[in-house]
Amino acid sequence: MALASRPAAPFTPPNFLPGTPIMRQLLRSALLALAPSLALFGAAGAQQRPLVWGDTLPATLDPHAIFDVPSQFVLLNAYDGLYRYQSNPPKLVPWLAESHTASPDGLTWEFTLREGAKFHDGSAITAEDVVWSFRRLLAMNRAPAAAFTPVLKAEGITATGPRTVRFTLSKPYAPFLSAIPLVAVVNPRLVTPNIKEGDWGNAWLAANDAGSGAYRIDPATYQARVSLDMDRFPGHFLGWGHVPKPIEQVRARPVMETSTRVLALLRGEIDATDSYLPTDQVERVEKNPKTRVAKDESMRVFIIRMNNKKPPFDSKDARLCFAHAFNYQGFNEVILKGLVVRNGGPNPNNLWGNPADLKPYAYDLKLAKEHCDKARAAGAPLGREVEIHVQTELDQTVQAAQMYQADLKKVGVNLKIVPNTWAGITGATGQAQTTPDMWVHWVSTYFVDPENWIGQMYDSQFHGTWKASAWYGNPRVDELLRAARASLDQAERQKLYAEATAIVVADSPDIWVYNTLNLRGLARRVQGYQFSPVGSGGEIRLMWLEN
Amino acid sequence: MLRYLLRRLALSLPALLGLVLLTFVLSRVVPGDPAAVLAGDAATPAQIAEIRGQYGLDRPLAEQALIHLKQVVQGDFGRSIFSGRPVAEEILQRLPATLELTFAALLLATLIGIPLGLIAAMNHNGLIDHLVRLMSVGGLAIASFWLAIMLQLVFSMELDILPLRGRLDVALGSPPRLTGFLLPDTLLAGRLDMFLSACRHLVLPAVTLALPGIATIARFTRSGVLETLQKDFVLYARAAGYGRVRLAAIYVLRNAVTVTVTQIGLLFGALISGAVAVEAVFDWPGLGTYAVQAILAADYKALLAVTLVVGVVYAVVNVLVDLAQALIDPRIAGAGR
Repeated sequence: MALASRPAAPFTPPNFLPGTPIMRQLLRSALLALAPSLALFGAAGAQQRPLVWGDTLPATLDPHAIFDVPSQFVLLNAYDGLYRYQSNPPKLVPWLAESHTASPDGLTWEFTLREGAKFHDGSAITAEDVVWSFRRLLAMNRAPAAAFTPVLKAEGITATGPRTVRFTLSKPYAPFLSAIPLVAVVNPRLVTPNIKEGDWGNAWLAANDAGSGAYRIDPATYQARVSLDMDRFPGHFLGWGHVPKPIEQVRARPVMETSTRVLALLRGEIDATDSYLPTDQVERVEKNPKTRVAKDESMRVFIIRMNNKKPPFDSKDARLCFAHAFNYQGFNEVILKGLVVRNGGPNPNNLWGNPADLKPYAYDLKLAKEHCDKARAAGAPLGREVEIHVQTELDQTVQAAQMYQADLKKVGVNLKIVPNTWAGITGATGQAQTTPDMWVHWVSTYFVDPENWIGQMYDSQFHGTWKASAWYGNPRVDELLRAARASLDQAERQKLYAEATAIVVADSPDIWVYNTLNLRGLARRVQGYQFSPVGSGGEIRLMWLEN
Repeated sequence: MLRYLLRRLALSLPALLGLVLLTFVLSRVVPGDPAAVLAGDAATPAQIAEIRGQYGLDRPLAEQALIHLKQVVQGDFGRSIFSGRPVAEEILQRLPATLELTFAALLLATLIGIPLGLIAAMNHNGLIDHLVRLMSVGGLAIASFWLAIMLQLVFSMELDILPLRGRLDVALGSPPRLTGFLLPDTLLAGRLDMFLSACRHLVLPAVTLALPGIATIARFTRSGVLETLQKDFVLYARAAGYGRVRLAAIYVLRNAVTVTVTQIGLLFGALISGAVAVEAVFDWPGLGTYAVQAILAADYKALLAVTLVVGVVYAVVNVLVDLAQALIDPRIAGAGR
């Protein structure tokens, strides 16, 4: 009798059992003696398994209610937007829209929809549906709306024809087009009957499907953050000719624990991990004949924040001391095994808008001490305990803080590591006095424009948001960033962002450590995987499965 | 017996009321602003304040507590701040998974723990007794998350005979959700393959969770039996010529097991809270993982509801334990009259 349901492909048992080979064999034999009774329970049949996606699921399926890295999986597969980012480096390509125009003053944007696109219920996608979707987004005023609310009002969105939508902005905003892919077009004919207590159908759409994307959600089997089943939508407007054999069924099954996630991939229970495979697991996954690791440079900057409004960080010398006291090479090359790329400024290296001669800070304890001594002489309270808040569930934030603690001790700074959560930290960044002295996090790609990084991190108008939690303020930088935001001239924007970045780096408001190399464990049967920093390669439409 | 039952139920109500208020205060004083999480990236302080107003988070704490209490009494746990869905619905999706796992572990612990304790006591200071005592200490000392990973490595990765994670093989699909408990649902759907798959998925998490329970039950049964063996009625029974097995199984065990039954009730609560680590390692989609996600997202509505539901389950189990004790020893029910 077969002992298990696994395919007959060779399985190399990992060397987990302790002891000498004889002891190991004895233990193995003893355990195998128990096996028949367990095998009596039987297992699944031998049909081809659906694609099992082991990445994290968002808390809600409503694409207008949330915008984080997991939510992009739903956005990319179950919904479509007017434009979409594809490939790496990401390019903005027309999606439900076939083209767009912008007025010279940057205030009026008009999009023309392509013909023939349909929602999952078969109804045609019209300009009115796009208008309703954007108005819903603004009215709900949740995370994805934040990029639009400063410049767009509901009355500024109109259908000027059955296939044309016009957006009239209250002021010029160059990143408008870059942010357009954030917004999913939802089917109002399905959502409106389910509106309760003025919620714009949020409770219903949190667990249902009203999209037009390449895959249809099965609401009957959906369990929030536990399981999401999707089936291929044959009527998707782009068709399916681009893959030899489309994936028919997708089963998203997030795996909570890192060790279980890796084991599940090695064993073939899932086909993909998340895209943050721990660096110490890369070799293990690559050694298994049935799995591989996709390594792609992303746009996700690892940052150690400093609260510039709290002493000693209101002193530039103190900040420079901290910038020189972090062992960038040790962290990137040893702890993270070289599977990241040193990033010396707020924008990812592989994005436009960086100055050509940007020189990252180097680890130099002698220089750090000189700056610290200068800061002390000027009255900076470097003798006080400095708190660094880490996200306990994210090992790298803890490792960085521990390494930093040891180095700062050498320059006479006492760093206290405070365990916290994302919610705990971001909840405290609303005011300068409650923002931690320091904290560790990443800034991921929400839209591909320097506005996503330097724009929202260092323009003082964003003070009170977690992205601007350095509380940095420099009138010249504000002026440059605002000019870059208002200009539609790409060359001019490039110049403005480069100048702003040079000033910000010289002021050293934060410590920029690396740009992420996304590491996703994949089963070798998964073909066609294409990484993009927006969505982290979760677009299933592009993939197929080998037998 | 009915009066006894009603009395026990009435005594649970103040405890649950206290639990509701205490957990509300605790959940609101810990750091974390759900409105900021909900507002997302680049949200302005004004947007965050608006969301705070929408959810009533800007009202005085006492007023929020009263509103919460009123909603709970009406059976309304509100909407999850994070997902936007009714918390009651989310909990109903998760609770059966935790209960199924906990009951399986409890059953395993009881079926193994009581005989082990009895045998150990009947062989007092003998080899078996020493072995059982050793196993009890080990069972209580081993951290469940470590044991869980070891079991995964041996039975899933090395021997490849049991699944690593989850409740069901994804290739089989899912049965129609009738009770939420997979074992009955798969049987009601007439899907034996799914039922067997669900059983296989249950083995490792249930064994992991049961081990400390086996140790506890064995220890309490052993000491209860040892104490009972000193009683006069046992001496008379022996003098009357009852055999060792009959004496142990019928006379000694019934008198000794009341303390064990109390422990089983307490153990149920411990298993539910202990299930957090086990659920995380085995990806068991129960209340434990839900609570962890709620904590990380500062989703206080979800967290309050989980605490209350576990409290209610615990209270109900305690009442059932009291009833079981009264059935085993009718003097207990009469004592409070």
